Amino acid sequence: MKNRIYWAIERTLLLLVSFVVLFPIFWMFLTSLKKPRDAYSITLNFQPTLENFATVFADPWNLGSMVLNSVIVAGVTVLIAVPCASLAAYSFSRFRVKGRKILFFLVLSTQFIPAVVIVLPFFLMFRSLGLLDTRIALIIVNLAIVTPFVIWMIKGFIDAIPVDSEEAALIDGASRLRVIRDIVLPMAAPGILTSSIFCFILTWNEFLFSLILTRRDAVTLPVGLVNFRTERGDLWELMSAAGVMITVPIFIMAILIQKHFTRGMTAGAIK
Amino acid sequence: MQDRFLSYALLVPAFVIVLATTIYPLVYSFVTSFREWDLTRQRRPGDFVGFENYAHAVTETGFQNSLWVTTIFVVTSVALTLLLAMSLALLLRRKGSLHTFTRIILILPFAMSPALIGVSYRFMFNPEFGVLAVGLGSIFPGLKDTPWLADPDLAMAVLIATDVWHWTPYMTFMCLGGLASIPRETEEAARIDGASGFRIVWEIVLPQMKGVLLVTAILKTIFALKMFDQVVTLTGGGPGTSTETLAYFVFNVGFEWYDMGYASSLAWILTLIMMLISVWYVRMLLSEKKMATV
Amino acid sequence: MTEVRLVDVEKRYGAFLALPKQSLTIEEGEFLVLLGPSGCGKTTTMRMIAGLEDITSGDILIGDERVNDKPPKDRDIAMVFQNYGLYPHMTVAQNIGYPLKLRGMDRAKRNERVLEIAKKVELETLLKRRPSELSGGQRQRVALARAIVRTPKIFLMDEPLSNLDAKLRVTMRAELKHLHYELGVTTVYVTHDQMEAMTLASRIAVMREGRIVQLDTPKKIYSEPIDLFVAGFIGSPSMNLIEGAVENGFFVAKGVKIPVQLADRRDVVLGVRPEDLEIVKQEGAAITAPAYALELTGESTLLTVKDGATSICVRGPADLETKIDEVCYLAPQAGGRIHLFDKSTGTRIDA
Repeated sequence: MKNRIYWAIERTLLLLVSFVVLFPIFWMFLTSLKKPRDAYSITLNFQPTLENFATVFADPWNLGSMVLNSVIVAGVTVLIAVPCASLAAYSFSRFRVKGRKILFFLVLSTQFIPAVVIVLPFFLMFRSLGLLDTRIALIIVNLAIVTPFVIWMIKGFIDAIPVDSEEAALIDGASRLRVIRDIVLPMAAPGILTSSIFCFILTWNEFLFSLILTRRDAVTLPVGLVNFRTERGDLWELMSAAGVMITVPIFIMAILIQKHFTRGMTAGAIK
Repeated sequence: MQDRFLSYALLVPAFVIVLATTIYPLVYSFVTSFREWDLTRQRRPGDFVGFENYAHAVTETGFQNSLWVTTIFVVTSVALTLLLAMSLALLLRRKGSLHTFTRIILILPFAMSPALIGVSYRFMFNPEFGVLAVGLGSIFPGLKDTPWLADPDLAMAVLIATDVWHWTPYMTFMCLGGLASIPRETEEAARIDGASGFRIVWEIVLPQMKGVLLVTAILKTIFALKMFDQVVTLTGGGPGTSTETLAYFVFNVGFEWYDMGYASSLAWILTLIMMLISVWYVRMLLSEKKMATV
Repeated sequence: MTEVRLVDVEKRYGAFLALPKQSLTIEEGEFLVLLGPSGCGKTTTMRMIAGLEDITSGDILIGDERVNDKPPKDRDIAMVFQNYGLYPHMTVAQNIGYPLKLRGMDRAKRNERVLEIAKKVELETLLKRRPSELSGGQRQRVALARAIVRTPKIFLMDEPLSNLDAKLRVTMRAELKHLHYELGVTTVYVTHDQMEAMTLASRIAVMREGRIVQLDTPKKIYSEPIDLFVAGFIGSPSMNLIEGAVENGFFVAKGVKIPVQLADRRDVVLGVRPEDLEIVKQEGAAITAPAYALELTGESTLLTVKDGATSICVRGPADLETKIDEVCYLAPQAGGRIHLFDKSTGTRIDA
């Protein structure tokens, strides 16, 4: 009898949690489908429409160009960061490099630096180089944010791979680089994929640098949201449509990696 | 042997990136913090003024306010997040389809752009047509017509709510990981010894989680200190300056008033605070690893 | 067939001296077992031969070639790891064939050779499986197959049987022994299990805290252990070690009086194996003590008698019916060996 009560309570709590997690997301999706008039009322009974999506992609909002910017910036950042980070992660994990601990700590500690402290120099630097409002600028700063984190994540994954298989390959006749190619990379592939998606998500959602370093041409999606604040007021239905565009690709990716979430992200924190 | 060369060579690309994108700007901003540089008046950096910028900060009300705001925000959000995360982890660690479903969707708040979360909550708490404002007002008549984002304390509460909503999933996963590493035998032995469920959690499980909880708390503190996006989209630092955290304040000084020198010094104060905490974090991490091997 | 020589080899980890300077020659075609407790340096020694660890000073020669600076892949060796070290993302066939692939053998020839070896270890039906789908014993055979698919100069085996269950271990021992007979390759084998060492080795190097304490054939190590450590380590059940003194041509301890050929002295340890003792009637009993425990092993009974600190085990007949606390009388067997050791240094006293 007691068990039943506990079970009922547990179920209720779980449903409550799911509700709290999903509601804001749900509401945003709902609002994006509402006509402007319906958006300003709390009705669930309305005529859904896709016109908001059409509106945001057209002039003057041009969400399409922001989508493109986000895709390029996030994509290129991942393409640069992940290979570099993987090599470094392997070195940290397998080699007794002199001063390894210090170097690793140095890399780790850059994660703990507030973005504001490096955005100022970047702003000034890019201004003098004429690189303000360019995608290249955004890629560079995002590399700053993302690289240490990815090194940490991938190192965690590589640490979890037993060294035996690598040593066996060395004895079988492989050079160290061959071992990385034939043995380590295939075994670390799920981890590297998870880290890449994580990196993409971080860059995609990045706000501060984009806010400060872009004006018109290289604006990414999260900053694009702010455009929907006009003097007339906030255009919530359009904002929601833009919000949907921001979140849908990310949600899909996030669900894909959620299984590896515990291992990868917490690899450094918990044995 | 040849490995030695390779071990360094493999580190080079990543280090070039880190040095160029992080170390260099850090140094630059450090140097700038000792200069006077108002971008609206001077194109080039001004003269060296020693610690004047830092001294100014100590007496300036904007900075003092932001310290206070930041402290309240960090302490509250860390406490709430940790409490919720630990509870959720205990709830979610069993098997079950509903449990699995919840675990899967739990990653979504973390994947959402914080700026977007700010926007979304701003919409939902609008007193006229915000679903949460109106909804809560109809359930609790006392809450009807509350000017959520126009009241300094309430605005802070909503800000904290966005942060808690965003970060609890991540922290929950960390706690889940910690729970998984506790040997099940300790709980089973307690059950055989006659302890009830609640006691087991309080006396057996939680003490073993101390290390993980501490690490989680420190990490969350660091993230809370960094928090920025939602302040822009949810409150804009307001009403007045009641949600102007230090990070936001730096942004204001640098990009509304364009006082580069002062902003750099403020940024470095924040950085120093975070560095201290992160040193503590890494120390905890290393000793936690040692303990975990028992 | 190759000889391996370690000449004045020393290994340090920072300030810690793992292996003090010593030399070792492993003869062509022999099966040398490095035996000792964990941390004694046996695995480190093997890994140095493999090239997985650097040597701090000294030389390693394989054949007549100095290989100190050669990476593992150029040393023409094969190794079986304790945890097998299989490639989880490759099939069994790919695992076995990998050394051949690295050496540039073309696919057709490779497949042929892999099949040949697979048949030898009875894996031919499992070639398309992945390691995760195999049992422990099967994985071990894949590791073995991968090692023998080439014909290397040296086999290295790092506790290959320790992850198998007891029964399988015994079977695999015989397999390894036969394989060595068939292939005749110089083999270095690391283990902490003295039974494995005794049954497999042509010579055993007993190691302790980095030093080789005794290097000899199993027979010699069993019958003439060089010190207390080796005496107590080899043999199951282990040798009885009794502390006492020599007085008037007898070794004496509580409940013990055994004739020995030694001048009077104190601080002597007498060693005698359980199978070198027998249960007698009272007359002239060398050992008198009450029974403490009986263990039936199947073909014999192990009787432990205990008097104060002195505890002695004897291998008796399977149908022994002594009761606990009943007084027993033991004596050394006629053809059995008695060993005497100095208590403080642990070394053997040759009478």
